[in-house]
Amino acid sequence: MTEQTDSLVVELAHKLVETLGLDTTAEVVDPAAPLIGAGLGIDSIDTLELVVMMEKDYGVKIDTRAAGIEAFASLNALAAYIRQHRSASSP
Amino acid sequence: MIARPRVFVTGLGVICAGAGNVAELRRLLLAPKRRFAPPTVFPAAGESAALPVAQVSGLDLALPDSLPRTHRLALQAAKQALGTGPAPDAIVLGTTTGGILTTEFALQAGSTSPEAYRFHGLHTVAEHLATSLGIRGPAITVSTACSSAAVALSLASALLRSGQARRVLAGGADCLCRLTFHGFRELQLLAPHGSAPLDAQRAGMTVGEGAGFLLLESAPKQPAIVAEILGTGMSCDAYHATTPQPEGTGAALAMRRALQDAGLDASAIDYLNLHGTGTADNDAAEARAIRQVFGSRLPALSSTKGLTGHALAAAGAIEAVISIIAITDGLLPANTGLQTVDEKLELHPVREPTRAQVGSVLSNSFGFGGNNACLVLGGAPADPAAIEVGTSQVPAAPLPALRVAGAACLTARGDLGQTWQALLAGESVAGFVPEAAFSKAAPAAFIRRLKRLPRLMLALAQTALRSSGRSTPPDLLATGTAWGPLAETQDFLRKLFETGDQFSSPMDFIGSVHNAPAGQVALLLGAQAPNWTFSSGDRSFEQALLCASLGMAAGEPSALVMAAEAHEARLSPLFDPAAATGALASDGGAALVLLPDDGAPGARVRWLGENRSEQDSGNAAALELCARLAAQAALDRYDAVAVSVPATVGANADREILRLTEVLAPCPLLAYRDRLGQHASVSATATALAARAVLEGVLPFGTASIPLRRQRLLLLLLGRYATAIEVFA
Repeated sequence: MTEQTDSLVVELAHKLVETLGLDTTAEVVDPAAPLIGAGLGIDSIDTLELVVMMEKDYGVKIDTRAAGIEAFASLNALAAYIRQHRSASSP
Repeated sequence: MIARPRVFVTGLGVICAGAGNVAELRRLLLAPKRRFAPPTVFPAAGESAALPVAQVSGLDLALPDSLPRTHRLALQAAKQALGTGPAPDAIVLGTTTGGILTTEFALQAGSTSPEAYRFHGLHTVAEHLATSLGIRGPAITVSTACSSAAVALSLASALLRSGQARRVLAGGADCLCRLTFHGFRELQLLAPHGSAPLDAQRAGMTVGEGAGFLLLESAPKQPAIVAEILGTGMSCDAYHATTPQPEGTGAALAMRRALQDAGLDASAIDYLNLHGTGTADNDAAEARAIRQVFGSRLPALSSTKGLTGHALAAAGAIEAVISIIAITDGLLPANTGLQTVDEKLELHPVREPTRAQVGSVLSNSFGFGGNNACLVLGGAPADPAAIEVGTSQVPAAPLPALRVAGAACLTARGDLGQTWQALLAGESVAGFVPEAAFSKAAPAAFIRRLKRLPRLMLALAQTALRSSGRSTPPDLLATGTAWGPLAETQDFLRKLFETGDQFSSPMDFIGSVHNAPAGQVALLLGAQAPNWTFSSGDRSFEQALLCASLGMAAGEPSALVMAAEAHEARLSPLFDPAAATGALASDGGAALVLLPDDGAPGARVRWLGENRSEQDSGNAAALELCARLAAQAALDRYDAVAVSVPATVGANADREILRLTEVLAPCPLLAYRDRLGQHASVSATATALAARAVLEGVLPFGTASIPLRRQRLLLLLLGRYATAIEVFA
């Protein structure tokens, strides 16, 4: 990582690996790489699992196709999406 | 050539949102008005509280509250179908929910008494009907998600055509529950404002509930006939756990098989009742499948799920009733809920109820796991002579013996070879299967989301197929599991309750479906064959063997028959108290690759019977079954009788065995659960071991090994239901 380590990105990487049972570790997930359809083997079912996780843990809804494309572009994009949409009262 | 028996429909029963019987359904189809509203049978929180479902009103209140909702729906429809006639020979039921709605409340309340869960099992629905209606023969429970009822009707047809039964009650039942409601919701498959099948703006399905039953007879009295099942066809996409194959190739295969079975050309179909759930993927794939089968000359078609909702395992039976009404009343049902047809589908559904002459109907049902089942229905035959032919040709021969071409089992001691060696050394193989014994069944990426039961099943299927030396996938896949994927069910409900009915896991929902493991097996093997999952308590394996035998008797060239259980620390002891018997608590199972008995060397296995006793004692059903078998051939042709005595049969198991011994003398009687363990699919393990024993001429049992001079064993299951299987060389 070239930029300063983003704690939300690190947190998301751990959740990603744990929630989806990925055969890898959080440290090796490239925060700038596409999440879906690339090396991680994440598919449509995983995406739905992540949608639920986003709403449950961050109070953020991903309920349109366009939102999904934006949010799941990469771990960095996911973190940015959370920051942008998280309501003030959410954790 | 002997004509096969025909399958006549002589009774109908139905209950669904908007209709409590056939007469009300007729009126509903003529004036289609749907009443979708948020669920009231369970609490819903947050936004999900506003999601509409198709809930049944007017459930028979005379039935006790302790009886779960699916059981009550089923009984109400079954009674209508049966009318005042005598009890049928057998019942075949499709269900995915069983007693889960009741179980959800009990788990949430923290109830730890198995009594609170005694109606949890899917098999308890069919068994409750059998007890209430006096059905003494097989009570078969099939669970293939949303195609369950169509599969049940197909298997019932096979029972009649084989001559194993002359009168069968068949259909499906499911109720609304939190598991399916939240599961489909989190898969984003529920339409926020109700389903609109084939609509350009369709946004999902509306989950419903209900039950449908058909009374089927091979030799009925002419005036009673209302319709006929002309043919059935099944297939598996072997594409994805939940998403249909986008080109609809699996669905098209099932439709073609049904037409071929009926001996009809596609042009003979006057009306097509679609699966038509209203999800983007289903309707698109189904439209493509229809094009493949019908070309440019499409029959009149519609989905009725915009009216009734999608009643899951009951849908195929409710829609069979609708299809029959279309024929008898000359009515094309409307595609309710539709505003603007999706032009990309290139379909022109019936928009309003329309009078027309309808001769034959094709009805589609597709489900998770890629399970497709299609039915071709026709009207009552005009000439009584046609029925006489069927009547006189009903064969009464036993089902064929099948050759065991490959076998696998998993016990606490490992695979079949390890298990056999342990038994030879006089050791018990009871306990839980060590993970190392099944963890390498498939690539890591393939199994990363899978929990214990699917992994066990994948290992069993792979090993059995490999040991058969065959590289082609089987032509039939019949799986048994009494309790299904319990870890997935437990995790889904735990997460849901922890978040106050708001969040769970779509992954766990997909995995919790009873036929999910068999769907994974089909995926791994690339098996597009019919794929059935039987969930019938302790006789789930026996029913898989029975139905595979029916399929092979009708000409299928091979079958993979398997059964397994995966122990789950919290749920297993609650659902199956036999699984909580200390050192004997076990899991695992077995798989067999079966071929026709072509005379080649090897063991043979034959399903002999299943029956229920009216006597509430552990061995009454087995005694009655043995008496029937003895009337066909002397029981002393067996070297030994291996008996499965579930710990739940009673404290008097020893005395029960003793009484059986008197009947079966001089055959030694061996209670094998004491050595193999207490779990519902252990009869599969016993069968795989018996196949080895008859070839080796020795049965390892405790300190003594019993010589098998006749190389022939009888396997009996004790309980309210008894089953018998024979294994010989």
